[in-house]
Order: sequence, then structure tokens, then C-alpha cells
Amino acid sequence: MSTLRHIIYREWITRVRRKAFLIGTLLIPALFAGSIGIGVWLESGSEEESKVLIVDASELISRFDDRREVWLPIHPDCFPERSTLTYRFATESMADEAFMQSDFDLMVFFDDGILQHSSAKYFYEKAPAMSTERLISNDLASAIERFKVKRDLELDYSVYKRLKTSIQLVGEDVVTRDGNASGRALIGFFFSAILFLQIMVYGMHVMRGVIEEKSNRIVEVVISVVTPMQLMTGKIIGIGLVGLTQFGLLSVLGWLVYFAGGHWLETNDLLKTSAESSVSLDLESWMASQSQLSFLLDVNWPLMVAATVVFFALGYFMYACIFAAIGASVDQESDAQYYMIPAIIPPLLAYLLAAASIENPEGDIAIYGSYFPLTAPIMMLTRIPMGVFWWEILLAIGGIAITSYLLLIASSRIFRRGILTRGERFSAKDLWKSLRQRH
Amino acid sequence: MEKGAALVIDQVSKSYGTQKALDAVHFEVPRGKVFGLLGPNGAGKTTLLRMLNGITSMDTGSISFFGESLSRGHLHRIGYLPEERGLYKTMRVGEQALYFAQLRGMKKDDARTKLKHWFEKLEVDGWWNKEVSEVSKGMAQKIQFILSILHAPDLLILDEPLSGFDPINAQLVRSTIKEMSDQGDTSIILSTHDMGSVEEMCDEVALLHHGKLVLNGPVQALRDNARDGRIQVAFRGTVMQFTIAVGASAELLEVVTDSPRPGEHTAMLRLSPETDSSQWIHWISGEVQMTSCREWQPSMRDVFMQAVDETSNPAA
Repeated sequence: MSTLRHIIYREWITRVRRKAFLIGTLLIPALFAGSIGIGVWLESGSEEESKVLIVDASELISRFDDRREVWLPIHPDCFPERSTLTYRFATESMADEAFMQSDFDLMVFFDDGILQHSSAKYFYEKAPAMSTERLISNDLASAIERFKVKRDLELDYSVYKRLKTSIQLVGEDVVTRDGNASGRALIGFFFSAILFLQIMVYGMHVMRGVIEEKSNRIVEVVISVVTPMQLMTGKIIGIGLVGLTQFGLLSVLGWLVYFAGGHWLETNDLLKTSAESSVSLDLESWMASQSQLSFLLDVNWPLMVAATVVFFALGYFMYACIFAAIGASVDQESDAQYYMIPAIIPPLLAYLLAAASIENPEGDIAIYGSYFPLTAPIMMLTRIPMGVFWWEILLAIGGIAITSYLLLIASSRIFRRGILTRGERFSAKDLWKSLRQRH
Repeated sequence: MEKGAALVIDQVSKSYGTQKALDAVHFEVPRGKVFGLLGPNGAGKTTLLRMLNGITSMDTGSISFFGESLSRGHLHRIGYLPEERGLYKTMRVGEQALYFAQLRGMKKDDARTKLKHWFEKLEVDGWWNKEVSEVSKGMAQKIQFILSILHAPDLLILDEPLSGFDPINAQLVRSTIKEMSDQGDTSIILSTHDMGSVEEMCDEVALLHHGKLVLNGPVQALRDNARDGRIQVAFRGTVMQFTIAVGASAELLEVVTDSPRPGEHTAMLRLSPETDSSQWIHWISGEVQMTSCREWQPSMRDVFMQAVDETSNPAA
């Protein structure tokens, strides 16, 4: 046991003290924040100003102002002035040459066909941002809708708006009394994705570590002191603890950002139910008031973190056994590619099924996937925010533990044989022989 | 089992598929001596050394270690410097040395004290805080050697311990091994192809070839046994004069003309069985200017070559 402790410590300390570990740990939230930022930036476009000419060939939504001698919208409130979007109106389109020489960025053309087909064509030299396209589409739809309400229903638009109804479905689990299933499924998937990445990253660490020991030619010295099983187990646990250390640091960092950021927002009176509201809220109340964020308060975070730790430990151990055996079977990393495909398929499949389960987090795929040992670590995390029975978690843990043990035995046999093999290709026959050989 | 032997290798066999790596090998390693394990490449030496370290299991036979059946529990009493050796590149020298000492069951403080002693003795004391990647090959070899002897093992197994060393450091390591052997507390198995080291350091040897034991015994006895009546004569004058003088009195086997002394040649010859050697020497010294004459003493290299040749071509 003392020997195992020394191996575990060596594997752990030589990795966590590297600068790359600290930089990598800090980079993870930075990359997440960066990718969200890029998404928002892409979503909003680059905030460039667009001047749009609306060509209303059938004079459906615009009228000629005799005094100013220009075409104007019949309902100006459908085309509000924005800093990034300016509208001008006409009933005749411009020739291409003239459009290119004009200061318009876009020209939208439609005639009365729009009433049947609900589509309009637009011309551009430089493609507009998706957000600009969406704004124009919404504005135009609103103006056409007003035209239709007046022509077909002979109703006052304010009456129509009052009558128009949209329904928001608010779900509630009759057992847990929790709502917002899809939001919680997303949280589950987020944790599954992290787990998948961690298992892959640290599984590869194990494989590289074994290959490094083989190529450094240190392995014979080590296994003259400890058994190959002890070496493999110590290496897997030590590297797994690096993963848990990273997860722990990220959790602490996450809480610090949450509390410090929340405190800053609260003290600067930035948390209000709406821009016009004068009432400042604390962070939790503010989140509860935001329909897109309120589900975060429904998630059992301590359970989620604990489950991630447990399923990472189990899932990682299970797959690390396979990666260690692969490392022992090859001389260099490039040779490992052939063996890695069958090792990667089960966790990758679990990840893809977890992604598919967002749509139906309590469907058969999600449920059976969370029981099957090879996919359970990743898929159970998708289900936990939805609420699962304790026996289901225990069933998954038991299945993974038994599978891990069997894989450990099989892998240690391959490891023992492969670790001293150099310069020879490890054939399927060798693999079978290793599995059958007890000593 | 003979009392007093450090190891008794008893009818040990090991096969890899159809290939027999060791075939009923039987010999004893004396206590407190340096024992040479010799053999050409692929003879089965590494397989046997790995068995002693619990890395490989035997198919049949038994190994006794200081009177007890060898088991994993004995590993902390064995020091092993394999031919394929290395160090963790991303660890510091001292930290790595402490790690291996602790794996061997040593207490950290005890290991630190002993490491200080050995680092000073083998002149690596300035490298304690350096990363292994910064250390030269020879320096790394010395550190590996220290790691194998640090825990004062009862049995020390050294597989090509001098390869990679410059002559000065090779001598430093050689004298350390000799010192340990002279103290008599450590039984040493030295596996090497360097026959000079075998003659200098080993008390006894075993020679393996194709997985079989072909020679075993004290170095001097094996060399004596390999004598075959050959005489080495150094003379001045021409080779022609010497050949005529010898005539039919002896079989002239070889004449070496590039002697370090100018004008001197060396001849190897075997006297006919009916010739009296002292009378022949007296007679030939009157015929040629003889500077020395002695019975030929085979080196361990000669013993090795002869034994391997005989087992490879038994009919010859």
C-alpha cells in the first residue's frame, strides 16, 4: 500500500506542479468564456451600420409624402430608427449599377406576391449579419401583418394585438416539483461534455505516461521493485487525481466568480427586473426573475458536483485501464492510433447519445444508456438534473465498478506482457495470449 | 540445496512459445562473491535476471535465495541495474533517488543520508537539484548505479554496469563493486560481455548458450582447464630462422611479427607429446635468440569463444 502511495504521489505531483497544468486550468474557463463571447459577437454581428432600401412595388406598406416628396412607411412604428439600421422606402427598384454606386447596403424587393408567399428578396454587395437580416425580417413581417389585419379583418390593429395570444408552457415534475426540464437537461449535458473531455484527456495522459516509461527505458527498473499491476494502478489513480485537482480548482474558481461577480453586480445596483425598474435585487432573486436563467436555481448543484466527481473517478478508471494497456502494447504514440479507435468509440457514443438526450432527457435512450456501464458515467450525468432514483445511481455505479475491475484484470495482463516488449508489433494473437496468461 | 550459496538456480526452464529461453539451467551463486553470468546475445541471461527480479516467471524448476524459496517478499533485498535502464526526465535527480529508495522500502531520512554518502563517493553530489534532462549520460548512469546499491542489498544484479562510462568513471564504478565484494556483505551477479572486467572482478562464472549452461566454475580454474599444451615463445631474429630451428620438434601454430619491441616476434606452438618441454627450451635457446618462453594461459575471452564454439559445433 505504501508503494502504491508513492507511485500515486509521483504521478500526481510531477503533473500538477508543471506550469502547463496551471495554464491549462486557467485556460478552460477562459476558453469557455471566449467561445460564449465569440458566439454573442457572431450573433450580434460586428455592429456595423446598415442602410436598407425597402422597395414596396405594390405600395402595400408605404405611401408618398407630397410635402417631403419621399416614400414613407404607413406605420412608422413598424420600422423604428436604430443606430445600426436605417430604412428608406421606394416603389421602384434600382438597377444593379445604381445600387452599387448608392450608399445603400441592402435593397429589399417585394410586390403583392408577399401576401401569398410570405417571402421577399434582398440584394447586397456585402452579405449582412444574421442579426440584421432577422431585424429586417421582423420589421417587414410586422408591417405586412398590419396591412393584412386592416384589409382582411377590418380590425383596429390595437384590438388585434390584444386578441393575439401566445402560450408559454411551464412544466413541473410532480415528484420533485422542479420546472424547466430542457434547461436542466442542458446543464446535465454540459457536465457530461466536461466529463467526456476529462476522461479523454486524462486517459491519453495515462497512455502517454506508459509509452514514456517504455521509451525512457525506466520501466524495467520500476517493475523490479513493484508489480506491473501496482505500477498501472498507481499511475491511473495518480493521473486521475490530477483530473480531480483540476476539477476542484475549477469549481472553486467558479464559486469565486459567482460570489465576487454577484457581489459586484449587487453593490453597483445592476441587478434589476428590467431596464426601467428602479428596484435593485440580490443575485438569486434577479436570476429567479429571468426566465432564461431561473432554471439554474432548480439544479441541485452539490449533488451535481458530487456526481461529477464520482462518475469521473469511475468512468476515468474504467477507460484509463484500456488506455494503459494500449500504451503498454506500442512503442510510440503514433502506433497507438490503430488501437485507440475501439477505445474511443464507447465514450464518444455516450457523448453523442447524451447530446441526443437533451431533446428527450427521460426517454429510453437516456435511461438505458445511463445503466450500460460503458456509457453510464457520461449519460447518468445528463439525467441527474432531471431527478433520478437512488437505486439507478447505485446500479450505474455498481455496473461501472464491476466492468472497471474486469478491465483492470485484463489490462494488467496485457500491460505486464507489453511493457517489456520493444520493437515488436503486438498482434491480436499476442493480445489473446496475454489475456489468458495469469502469471 | 547447498548451505552457504546466495542463490541456487535449480533446473530452471522457460519457454516463449516454441522457443526455449532457458533449458534446465542449474548452478549456484556463492555468497559474498562476484559471480559472472556470461553468454552470447540471446543466451537467456536477461530472462534469468528478470526471473530473479520477479518480472518473469519460470515454467519449471526452483530458485532459492539465501536458503529460502525466492518470492516477491525478497525483492527489497535485491538490487538490480538492468541493461535497459533510464530515469524520469521531468523529475529532479534527488527527488527521483528518494522516490526509488522509498519504493524499495527505505525511510525518507535514512535514504537521504545514504544518498548523500553515495552521491559524494561517486562524485554526483552537485546534481541533486538538477532535472534529469540536464544530466549527462555518464552522470545518469552513475545515478542509476547508486539507486541499485543504495538499500545495501544482499544480492546485487548488474547487467552491463560499465557500458556508457568513460574509462575514469568505469574505473570508479569498478572499484566500488570490488569494494562491496571485498566487504563480503553483498553477493554480486555481473552480466557482461566485457571479459576484461570478468577476469578482474569475478570469482566464479556461469556461461549460458542457447538457454543451456555450458560452463560453470571459478574463473582461474576455467582458464587453467582451457590450457592445451601450447607454448608462447618470444624471439629475436628472422621468422625463417625460427621456423627452420623448430623443424619437426613442435607444431608451429602462429607467428606474430608486430611485437611492441623492435625486432622481436612471438610464436605460438604446440610440442609433440614425446618432447620434454624443459629439454626443448634448453635446445631452442641455443638455436635462436629467445627472450621469453611460457606456457600459454587462455584469457576468459578464449574460454568464452572456445565454449561457445564447441556447443555451436559439437562435431568439430
